[in-house]
Amino acid sequence: MEYDQAVPLKYVINPDECIYLTKGKCGNCKKVCPTGAVDYDQKEETVKLNVGAVVLSPGFKPFDPSRFDNYQYSNYKNVITSLEFERILSASGPTMGHLTRISDQKEPKKIAWLQCIGSRELNKCDNGHCSAVCCMYAIKEAVIAKEHEGDDLDCAIFYMDMRTPGKDFEEYYVNAKEKKGVRFVKSRIHTIVEIPETGDLEVRYADENGDIQIEVFDMVVLSIGLEADPNTVKLSEKLGIDLTQSHFCNTSAFEPVNTSREGIFVCGAFQGPKDIPESIVDASAAATAAGQSLTAARGTETKQAEMIPELNVKGDRPRIGVFVCSCGTNIAGVVNVDAVKAYAEKLPYVEYAGNNLFSCSQDTQDKMTEIIKEKNLNRVVVAACTPKTHEGLFQETLLAAGLNKYLFEMANIRNHNAWVHKDAPELATQKAKDLVRSAVTKVALFEPLEEAELQLNQTALIIGGGLSGITTARSFAAQGFETHIIEKDAQLGGQALCLYKTTTGENVKEKIVELVDEINGNEKIHVHLNATITSVDGFVGNFKSTVDENGEAKTIEHGVAVIATGASPFMPKEYNYGKDPRIITSLDLDKKLMVEDPSLKSMNSAVFIQCVGSREKERPYCSRVCCTHSVDNALELKKRNPDMNVYIIYRDIRTYGEREYIYKEARKEGVIFICYSVDNKPVVDIKDGKLTVTVLDHILRRPLEIETDLLTLATAIIPNQNEQLAQFFKLPLNANGFFVERHAKLGPSEFATDGVFLCGLAHYPKPIPEAIGQAKAATSRAVTLLARKTIHTSGQVAKVDPMSCSSCMVCVSVCPYSAPSIAKEGRFAGKAEINPVLCKGCGLCVASCRSGAIRHNGFDNSQIFSQIFTLSQVA
Amino acid sequence: MAEWEPKIVSFLCNWCSYGAADLAGVGRMQYPANVRVIRIPCTGRMSPKFFLAALREGADAVWVSG
Repeated sequence: MEYDQAVPLKYVINPDECIYLTKGKCGNCKKVCPTGAVDYDQKEETVKLNVGAVVLSPGFKPFDPSRFDNYQYSNYKNVITSLEFERILSASGPTMGHLTRISDQKEPKKIAWLQCIGSRELNKCDNGHCSAVCCMYAIKEAVIAKEHEGDDLDCAIFYMDMRTPGKDFEEYYVNAKEKKGVRFVKSRIHTIVEIPETGDLEVRYADENGDIQIEVFDMVVLSIGLEADPNTVKLSEKLGIDLTQSHFCNTSAFEPVNTSREGIFVCGAFQGPKDIPESIVDASAAATAAGQSLTAARGTETKQAEMIPELNVKGDRPRIGVFVCSCGTNIAGVVNVDAVKAYAEKLPYVEYAGNNLFSCSQDTQDKMTEIIKEKNLNRVVVAACTPKTHEGLFQETLLAAGLNKYLFEMANIRNHNAWVHKDAPELATQKAKDLVRSAVTKVALFEPLEEAELQLNQTALIIGGGLSGITTARSFAAQGFETHIIEKDAQLGGQALCLYKTTTGENVKEKIVELVDEINGNEKIHVHLNATITSVDGFVGNFKSTVDENGEAKTIEHGVAVIATGASPFMPKEYNYGKDPRIITSLDLDKKLMVEDPSLKSMNSAVFIQCVGSREKERPYCSRVCCTHSVDNALELKKRNPDMNVYIIYRDIRTYGEREYIYKEARKEGVIFICYSVDNKPVVDIKDGKLTVTVLDHILRRPLEIETDLLTLATAIIPNQNEQLAQFFKLPLNANGFFVERHAKLGPSEFATDGVFLCGLAHYPKPIPEAIGQAKAATSRAVTLLARKTIHTSGQVAKVDPMSCSSCMVCVSVCPYSAPSIAKEGRFAGKAEINPVLCKGCGLCVASCRSGAIRHNGFDNSQIFSQIFTLSQVA
Repeated sequence: MAEWEPKIVSFLCNWCSYGAADLAGVGRMQYPANVRVIRIPCTGRMSPKFFLAALREGADAVWVSG
């Protein structure tokens, strides 16, 4: 098993190492396996599948640094890779999370990280690209190492450019530098020398002043890059798809998950080196792209699950079945499961108690279904692992036996018991009995619960008609869903209309015009221009939004909403912006390029200043796209006039991923890059008609005065005014004004609020391919809802007993989900009622209700008290 | 006399601390066996009566985490 997180989480035999398979001896694993799962005769077989689309997600290969002789990775024990360091920090790793070095198990006092190992490197290997993730993971590793070892641990990161352009990444970097005391040294280290007596490592480097420094570290971590796996390259040849220079999958900016071959899609790091959120976005986008091409076949191959009619056990005396799991030896190795079973048999209302070797295996599930039916059980307790992972599985077993799935409780005797008390088997057995007693007592009080079913309006509403919004609309319509676009301006297209071209060379405006024509000609898409949302009612599946369109109020009913409100360019006050027509923003330069402004050909000199309004106190985030944009435009200027002197004044060049190639090209074409620091910004002067930029040259350490004909300010991307919309849909905004997604890593295109999705620059600044990817991802997430006609909500929700309600409104005021309200009509008008669709079952209102009028299905007072009351009983 | 061991009752939020206790198991972190966990849907569910009941039932300490 290669990873703890492997799916399925099963062991396999390595046929190259197995003594039985290679020499015919041993066979031990087969003898000891209690379930008879070992089969030596299993052979590789070829399976033919008839599919309409293929998604490639083969991932990447971590760079192997042993091919570099200067870092001596194979010879020096204390030179390790970043992935090995991750394992050392991991609680389930070889040192149980204890930070020690390999040579002598000593706790390190000084650790160095070397960046760009196998990335941005064409001399010793073929990886010209930036791996995009290493800067951030190195900072994370340094911060976590300091958390483990305390502030005395000296962590130094040696880098070329710090590239933290992801959402909240720049803030994390600044925090690591200023608060956590991680040292950042801008220097590329050439060699490491081991001190043989101690195993310590001597590192020699030139600091920013050009002085040679020698430092000794206890450990050196090589921040290895991401590269394409040679096997994947072979597969691509077989499939006939095009690859990039670095052998990642070649895609276009407007179809970021389509390969060069129709019907084959791509996602994850094979599309280009990337972090988790972008991989998740891609994965959803690829699902949409594949789903779009399969719309005609949707539902044709679906197998309907057989529904077992539910038995009515309401009011019946509890007949409880207790299944005590051994989990192989995981539980039985510590807990005396037979004693627990025998104890369970004697508990009140228990009709059956049994022991399972593996309760979660399919055959045991079938056996349990039979026992429930045979013994006429109406409540079930499984004493095994954790409900967090297995509750759903056992609830299915209940459904298969015709029981309401809420007549079930788990006793966590593995994660909370056997695993954590392995040296105290008697106490663990005692605790297991207590946990089973608690679960049995609680389950006896359970009643069958109903899940609210609601009809879903299969219409989508998209707020924002920029590139992200129209991409989303196009994907919805292509999958057969009615779609409304709300655009505040008089035309669709948004900020993308101001862009000249993509880094891969596509003309943006032409493409947008094409897309808008397609949108306008699509009868499933309804475009509302000059329109804003004025109110939103309802909830997932049944929203009702009022729109002001050209001064006229309209109501739109929809099942889901997508927020694609985009962002705007920041208008700077510094660098004399606005005082001279030669000082412009990046988008102004794009305009000049679009109209082929003849002055661009006759200029002698052009200067770009990066990070204008970004990565500063007022706006701490990195705007992600500006480095690539300026480098690309610098090349455009060079193309028009190769003799022009072009300067880019920057802080860190963040041409992440394969954008690094254009940075390299720019240097080759003679674009001059000058680094500045935020506390020593360049100075712009206009004197006697001359425009000059003065900056401290980072190599010469002397001020450099550049006379220029054009000064382009790479200004920040700022979010639009989102506060009102956020209130309408109850969505969170971060300190910078961007929307906060459901989960930074795993839920980047959706909100915690059900039925509302997110894409484009409203989430964070991003280039065109990423915005399109996220637009498709938002559609994908939304379609998982829209494709259903009805949705079920959890049965474990709060419920008001109107007879006891004193209408004090406390529940209405405390609920974070606006689920309780005061009934306006009916027999109980004036009393509180709770909408089960909005209720998340947190129980805040239950605990706050001073009249005791709110019941909590599944966690009711009587049930929790019953668990507390079992505490004093002795098994 | 054997050393006195307190009885601890912990109310853990299903979404965070309960999962963290699961993870402690996955990491095989060892701790004393004299704690009994009651899973609650959110610490917002905690009622003062739960504390009092637990103490009345012989708990020496009540631990709420979420």
